[in-house]
Parts: sequence; structure tokens; C-alpha cells
Amino acid sequence: MQDRLDRARRAAGALENHVADEFLAGRLSRRDLLRHASRIGMGTALIGALAGASPARATRTGKPGATIRVAAQMPAGAIEPLTVSESGGVMMLCQTGEFLILSASDLSLKPMLALSWKPNADGSVWTFSLRPGVKFHNGHIFTAADVVATMDRLCDPKQGSNALSVMRGVLSPGGTKKIDDLTVRFELEAPNGNFPYFVCSENYNAIMLPADYGGDFEKNFNGTGPFRLDRYTQKVGASFVRNPTYWGQPALPDRTEFSFYTDQQAEILALEDDQVDVIWQISVQGAQGLIRDPDVKIIDIPAATHREVHMRCDAGPLADRRVRQAIALTLDRPGLIHGLFRGLAKPGNDSPFAPIYPSTDPTVPQRVKDLGKARELMHAAGHADGIDVTLTTERLQEIPDYAVLLQNACADIGVRLTLKIEDEAAYYGAAQPGRSDWLDSEMGITDYGHRGVPNVSLGAPLCSNGAWNAAHFYNPTYDKLVATYVAALDLHTQRDAARQIQTLLLEETPVIIAYFYDFLVATGPTVTGVNVGAISQLFLQDAAIG
Amino acid sequence: MNARLLAKRLTLSAITLLLLSAVVFAAGQLLPGDVGRSILGPLADARAVAALNHQLGTDQPALTMYLHWLGNLLRGDMGQSYAFRSPVAPFIGHALLKSLALAAMAAVIVVPTAIAAGVFAALRVGSWQDRLITLGGLSLTIVPEFVSGIILILILGVWLRWLPISANTRPGTGVMEQARHLILPALPLVLLLFGYIARIARAGMLDALESDYTRTARLKGISPSQVLLRHVLRNALLPTITVVATQTSYLIGGLVVVETLFRYQGIGSLILTAARDKDFPMLEAGILVVGAAYVLSNVVADLLIGVLDPRVAMSRR
Repeated sequence: MQDRLDRARRAAGALENHVADEFLAGRLSRRDLLRHASRIGMGTALIGALAGASPARATRTGKPGATIRVAAQMPAGAIEPLTVSESGGVMMLCQTGEFLILSASDLSLKPMLALSWKPNADGSVWTFSLRPGVKFHNGHIFTAADVVATMDRLCDPKQGSNALSVMRGVLSPGGTKKIDDLTVRFELEAPNGNFPYFVCSENYNAIMLPADYGGDFEKNFNGTGPFRLDRYTQKVGASFVRNPTYWGQPALPDRTEFSFYTDQQAEILALEDDQVDVIWQISVQGAQGLIRDPDVKIIDIPAATHREVHMRCDAGPLADRRVRQAIALTLDRPGLIHGLFRGLAKPGNDSPFAPIYPSTDPTVPQRVKDLGKARELMHAAGHADGIDVTLTTERLQEIPDYAVLLQNACADIGVRLTLKIEDEAAYYGAAQPGRSDWLDSEMGITDYGHRGVPNVSLGAPLCSNGAWNAAHFYNPTYDKLVATYVAALDLHTQRDAARQIQTLLLEETPVIIAYFYDFLVATGPTVTGVNVGAISQLFLQDAAIG
Repeated sequence: MNARLLAKRLTLSAITLLLLSAVVFAAGQLLPGDVGRSILGPLADARAVAALNHQLGTDQPALTMYLHWLGNLLRGDMGQSYAFRSPVAPFIGHALLKSLALAAMAAVIVVPTAIAAGVFAALRVGSWQDRLITLGGLSLTIVPEFVSGIILILILGVWLRWLPISANTRPGTGVMEQARHLILPALPLVLLLFGYIARIARAGMLDALESDYTRTARLKGISPSQVLLRHVLRNALLPTITVVATQTSYLIGGLVVVETLFRYQGIGSLILTAARDKDFPMLEAGILVVGAAYVLSNVVADLLIGVLDPRVAMSRR
């Protein structure tokens, strides 16, 4: 075993050996080893030697031939890979489309249309080897030219790409180069240790399309995946059948059928009435009975989805960080998680570092409710008589309830919150300072979706030049720490930067992040093999009934 | 109503609809956000939003957009949905058919029962049955659909399991089963309209029963049933027809609450979604269809009144 490990280590580069050292020193769990190994493209020989066995192949236990019926949220618009932004459309894309890399629900990266990937020494250039023998459903052979065209489209400011906000500062049009038919090179705008996450399924717009794609995805759902389109009817539903020319194992189900719903209660009734086998994405609010139902299986995926309570750091009473700290100290986080999510969430520590991220430093003390300390801070800040603050937010899922709980908690230290709860469109407005209640409010609650790495959540809402900096938090030390974190290729550097960022954010408290809630899928009792991506995607090729 | 009068009514209706479209468009400009951001999400890059708005033509001046849409409409083209990037007409047609089906189910239940109850109450004026119908009907009228709907779902759908809770059926479902799925969503509407129609029918009946021509008919020795059928009902139902006509337009376009409650993709639900997404072509088309249903149902009511009461037709000439 040791010989095998030594041989593998001799063949590996410095970065792989660093991860191996971290694992052997006990600073990396087996799960985190797999996650980091996949991120830096570590060879399977070394992974196998470290783990003491070859990586396990996924086994399929279900019977082939089923028709899997899914209740899904109705897509809000056209299924166009470039512009899709909401979960219904995202879920439709991945039924036939595939990514270079798949981000599994445990955040590990698995080869999909890319077989392997490697960074250069500083992480500014990444080279991807592509899977040979892949065909689109229309017969077109998948090559590097398709990757170049897809990525250029996603990064082009003239294309109306939804992925532009993610790719900004990371990759520009022309930055993706074809080396040969099965090799592409990404030349980044700046070093980025987490770059594989930017081209994996986390970036849901990045399904690979033919180079000559003409903007008509909805007509044929032309992808490379294990299912091909049977029928799609806008606002009604979709059905897919097994793709006989798929590059991997053929899908187990003969067919999948998606019915679109606009309301969770109707989906629950459909599952209970055996009209569907799967409810893709359920919200705890309104589904408490379903979650307790012993005849229903709940797939519970820890995620980084969170609500960010921003407090303006540049004006008004919240400009004093003691007041912001005091407000954060009023929250009973376990109580919030129990009350709002029936326990299906994890406590946040007022930074975007969710517990699921391997780079999160768990030794940073968790902030807990402490009214005595909160009152002291208010007194020290000269607000012993309390302050009046308006909290603006959007009407979405549990957020109005959270706002009321926050209002009640703040009342304990004399912070009188006036709630202004608006529709989503009114809250975000034009999403530009001066034209957005979100960015202009002195305090607000904003929804942030799951991401496989915290890069976006660290940058846009909190960096001095961040486009979503509703807290108006301008801290050069923080900016430098984030730049260090983003560029870091090794886990040690990432964790070191993460610890400093977590500590700094606790001290400054520009935002409160009280919880990260889980992603939930419900299935019938006999349904197996339903795989859920970390970002609301549903993969049914291994699904079976009975 | 002669042809000239009908043409005049239809012309006025067209002008009304034109004004309606202008008002809807102007009101739509006041909604927060823009189309590109609505499609790409609130956190989208501003350059991407601008590019998408340019592709869709929603970065043009409001008046240009309106005139462009109006020009297409006059050529029979309702336009393309911004959100779905496909023609609006099939969406409208599909939603309208569903709303018509639900409206028809409600009308089939409420019109005969309410008229029968109104007639019955008038024939037994002052009795406990009369009070039950008038007071009960009035009480039901003030119960909002979302309250009665939830109560009906709980009783008939969840507890007794007599009726399906969802208004939607799977593709290929038979007509009778589809109709069965529509009963529960139709019932809140029936409860809402029953009292109103019954009271109008009752009032019309009482007027007709106390009129000179009814007394004359009785004195001529015509049997009570013949008096009722040939003289009373024909005159008593004139105001009821007007009420039913106006409520029909409500049934087609005003079902947002019921459609939302029962997850039914009718025209009300379509309009609501289009307004939320700032999908102007879809919103305009949906509201115009409802407006057209409203004005046409009033024209039809006028025609019916003219047929039932020749004096009305004569006076209009």
C-alpha cells in the first residue's frame, strides 16, 4: 500500500502532494480529500492510494424501464441556456444538457464532458482535456470548438448572458482557446484556485452547446445528455426519452415526464395522490406535513443558500459597528432554524463561509445570542435609548417571517425596526445604487442562492467595488483577504484566508447571515436513484421505481 | 337592435378596447423593474440586462413600443411574449379556453339554480324559504372566494374526498373527468354569484307578479302556470339577463383568486404572471381579450333583451 502511495506521489505535482500531506496529517477528511482532489484535477492513482482503495464506482440498484414523473416548478420563461435565471428553467436545462464538470451534492467535482483539468503554477491558466466520442442529440460531434463558442457566448457582454455576473473578472471572450479537438485552455483575467467551479454545473448557464447554436434550444433541447427531448409544451410540461447514443451508461428510465406547477401545495397533493413520483425542490414553509410523512422520502442536501441581512456601514446609526454587532447578538439562531426550517438548516456565523465549504474554518467561534453584551454595546455607542431603523426586504418564502422575528429580537435592545416588505421587482429595482431599494436601504434582507464556492458571495456583496454591496462596506483589508482567498490553489492558504475573513466579518458585522438552509426533494417511498445537483438540478438517469 | 345600431355598438366597443390598451400600457410603465432584469434575475450584470433589452426591443421609447405593438395587432398579430420568446396568441387561446371551461361550469350551476331560487322566493315572499334564500344568498356574496374556496377544499376535497382538489387534469383525460375536476373551483364562484342573481330574479319576479298585465292575465282566467310561464317569467328575467351578462365577463377575466387557489392556468392567472414579468405583449393581449369579452357580453345582453322585450328594440329605433 505504501509503495503504491509513494509511486503515486512521485508522479504527482506539488499541488497534489500538498493535498496529500493535508489528508495524511488529518487536516482533511476523506470527503474533503475527494472534493479538493477533484478541484485541482488530482490523478485517480493518487486518490486511490490515499483513500486505500480505488474510487468507488456508483452502483445502480434499480430496475430499468420506469417512467419517472416529476412535479416541477413552472419555468418563468423560454428555456434558453444563455438567459435562464430561475430554478424551473435551470432544472429543464440539465435534463438534456451537460457541463464540462458535474458538481455533486457534496460539492465534489466529477468529470462530465471534461475528463481532467489542471492549473498552471499560479492558477491563472487552466487546461481541460475533453471526453472523446461525445455526440449531441442531432449527431454533431462534441469538440473543443463547441467549448470555445459556448464560453465566449457566456462571457460576452453583448449577448445578454445571465452568466456574465459570475464570469466578470474571471474570464473574457477570447479567453477560451482551442488547443486541439479535445483540449481547451482557459486564460483567466486573474489567478483563480476555484476556477473549475465556474465551468461546472454550479454555473447553470454553462451547458455545452454546438458551436453553431442558433438560439433555438427550446425547439429540440439539443444537448449531449442521457435523455433527449420527446415533447416540451410551454407552461404545461415536458417529457424525455432515453438517448440511445449516450456516451456513458444508458439511462435506467425509459422515460421522464415533468408537469409544471406554480404552487407547492398542488405538488404535494399530486405526490400524495400518486400522480407524480418526485417533487423537485420543496420549501419547508407549507410542507411540514409532507416532511413528517413516513410514506415520503425526503432527500436533504446541505447547501449554502442563505439570507443576508445588510446594514449600511457608511451612514446613520448603523455606521457604528457596535450597533451592528449588538443587532447580530440578539438573534437566537438555533431557534430561527427550528422555527423557520424545522431544523433543516445550519447556523451561519455572519459570513458567507457556510459549514459545507471545506475552506470554512470551524474553529472561529460561533456568534450566539447575548442580550447583555448587546445592550452594553448599544450603551457604549450612545444609543441607550434605542434607535429607529427601517428594514426593507422582499416578499419571498420565509423572509417576511424572518423580518418579523428580527424585529422582535431587536426590540429587546431598543432597536425599533420598521418593516417595509415589497415585491421582488420593487425591492431590487434597477439593481443600481440610487435606483434600488435593495442597494439604497439602511437595512435589508436579500436572498442568495447556493454556490459551490463562496467566491461570488465574498466579492459582489462585500468587496469595496462589489456590484451588490448593499451594506456599503468598504474595507481594504477585507478586499485583500478575498483576493488572496480567490487566488489560492492550496487548501491551507484558503483556510488561512477564510479564518481571517470570518474573524474580520464578525468584528465589522456588515451583514448578518444567520442560517444556510438545505435543499429538499421529496419522492415516493419506492423511488430510488434520484440525484440532486448542488444547485437545484435534478439528474434522473439512475432513477428507478420499486 | 338593427344592423346600424349594432354597428354603432361594435364601433364604440372597439374604441373602448383601444383606450383600454393605452391605459394598460401606460400603467405597465409604472411597474418597477424592467423586462431584461425580470428575465435575467435581479443579480444579473447590467451590461447583460441592457443587451437583452436591446435584443427584445424593450429599450425603445414607450410610445414607439406601443405603436409598434398596435400596428401588429391591427394586422392580426398579437406579438411575441418577451419571457417565452414565442407568439402570444397560442398562450391566450389556451388560457381563454380553460377560463371559458371554468366559467361555463360555474354558469351552468349558478344561473339555473339562482334563477329558480329567486323565482321560488318571489312566489313565497315573506316565508322562511324566502328569507333563507335572500339572506343566505346575501351572506354568501360577501364571503371572498379565497375563504369559501379553502373551506370547500377542506370539506369536499380533503375530508370527504368527494371531489378532486386540483382543477388540472393530465393530458388525455376524458371530458367528464375534466368537468369533475372543475366542479370544486366553480363552487366558490357559484356561492359568490348565487345571492346576487337570485335577488335580481326575485325582484324582477315580484315586479312582474304585481304588474297590470299579470293581473289582467289572471282576470282573463289563464291558468296560474300559464301566467307564470308566458307573462311573468318573460318580463321578470330581463334585469336578470343583464346581470348574468355582466357576471359572465367577470367569470372569464376576474378569476385570478380562484385560478390561483386551484392552480388553474386560465386567463386571469396569465394576466397576473404577465404583469409580474412586465411581459407587455402578453399582458395587453390578455386584458384585451377580457375587455372584449366584457363589451361583447353586454352587446349580447342588449340583443337578448331586445328579443325578449320588443318594446326595448322599438324604443332604440
